[in-house]
Amino acid sequence: MATKNIGPKPPGVTPGLQAFDYVDERTGVKFGASWFLTRNIPRGTSWFQTLGFTAMVLFSMQAITGIILAMYYKPESANNSAFNSIAHITNDVTWGWLVRGMHKWGASAMIVVVFLHMGRVFFFGSYKYPRELTWVTGAVLLMMTMFMGLTGYLLVWDQKAYWATVVAVNITASAPIVGPYLGSILRAGPEFGPDTLSRFYSIHMLLIPGGLATFIGLHLYLVTKLGISEPPWSKRRLRVERDEEDARRRAARERVPTPGRTTVPGIPAEVSATAKGTS
Amino acid sequence: MAGTSDNGVPEPTGDGQYFGPRAHDPEPVHEHDPADVTRTRFLSGVALAAGGVMGAAILVPVVGFAVVDPLKEEEFRWVDAGLASDLLKGLPPFTDANVPVGGVSSTAISGPAAESDRRVFIVSALKKGKTKADWKSLTGDDFELLAIWNRCAHLGCPVKEGGGVYACPCHGGAYNERGLVTSGPPPRPLDRFDIKLTDGKRDIPLAEHVKTPSPKHKVLIGKAYSVDSQERPYKLHLPGEPVDGVLSNLYPL
Repeated sequence: MATKNIGPKPPGVTPGLQAFDYVDERTGVKFGASWFLTRNIPRGTSWFQTLGFTAMVLFSMQAITGIILAMYYKPESANNSAFNSIAHITNDVTWGWLVRGMHKWGASAMIVVVFLHMGRVFFFGSYKYPRELTWVTGAVLLMMTMFMGLTGYLLVWDQKAYWATVVAVNITASAPIVGPYLGSILRAGPEFGPDTLSRFYSIHMLLIPGGLATFIGLHLYLVTKLGISEPPWSKRRLRVERDEEDARRRAARERVPTPGRTTVPGIPAEVSATAKGTS
Repeated sequence: MAGTSDNGVPEPTGDGQYFGPRAHDPEPVHEHDPADVTRTRFLSGVALAAGGVMGAAILVPVVGFAVVDPLKEEEFRWVDAGLASDLLKGLPPFTDANVPVGGVSSTAISGPAAESDRRVFIVSALKKGKTKADWKSLTGDDFELLAIWNRCAHLGCPVKEGGGVYACPCHGGAYNERGLVTSGPPPRPLDRFDIKLTDGKRDIPLAEHVKTPSPKHKVLIGKAYSVDSQERPYKLHLPGEPVDGVLSNLYPL
């Protein structure tokens, strides 16, 4: 079979390759991209392992729709401006109902998908060595996602949003010792007010998204560095676990005392005696 | 020092080792000796300390700005709730047994923010030991005024008054006429406000208002406080916090 990489290239290809080489020489993007994207994955990797990516896509969707919603939303409690601006988004702005709906339902979907992802990791045993810190960063991401849900809920500023958040903040405030302080900081004072709304808005669209993006980066770095774990039904993994179990049993057998030796160093006498009696 | 020439410069010895002067003579570095401060270590320390000071100079005001004001305690003052003749219900004299003995009226009072839906139930309650059956002989002395906050002691939803008792729509807390828990999750009775009557110059006892009502008498609502199931006063607690019992120790500050 003849090679195809001969002769003049179509116009535009050579400058394109040169431009890519220029960037790659200065950034190492080719190596980075292949390190990140073209990894070996274990046999048996399936749709179950796509939940984390789904959660990330939902986060991106929340970020994009949120940025657009922020162009119309007014976080002021005076004259019900916040509620009215949401009514304006929903009823007047072109496709506002759609973007708001995407943001609202995307939030619920993200919670669902994040929990499914956590369940997958738990039931596949993927949190075990060496991936403990991936689990920890994921737990932080879970908490931040829930906090996004809490702070976003108030922004509608209707009766349901108001009282549900009053209850949620009072639950926070009933935590021992630090609870009352956390409640006051969240509320921006002893009672809900205009400052509460702008505070929740700031937390919802500036503070937590930054933290989420940072921890998603960390999480992805760890996933890439450590690779995907094998599914529990992997034959290789079962073999490794069986070998480990064999090694454990072998080590236990070697601890059984030899005849003529009454005690074994490091093992209590009664355990040693029992082991001797059964052998 | 072998093979020094006349001008003091050492000559090469020929075995490949150089004993001449060096541009930089490395000193032995004692990594574990804190007293041994090299230039590098000193400058690293200075850079770290300067960075720490600059970081603190940014973070301390920012965090203080975000956190300190919300932690300030609310300032209380006496709030004019309205005319006593409008707000006080069910007080003597009673003309027959069907006239309600004791009563509740509800009014909004200004909280720290316009959004705070802070309502107060002004209750004319019979003192302990008095019963409605004695309606003929009841006087103003047999009544006391309670100002009950509508904030549920469970998680802060607004309670609703009906038939003289209170119920919370959120999680089913129920309270009796004096705001004491009858069922549901609340850990303590409804909070109360200080309440008094005034004619603008001096405080008016309830009995005097009952005896000689005047359109000048006004109801003043003051500082909020919590009570336990025996109606002993405590400092104002947040919803969800018990005022007595073992669990009250969870909120020591």
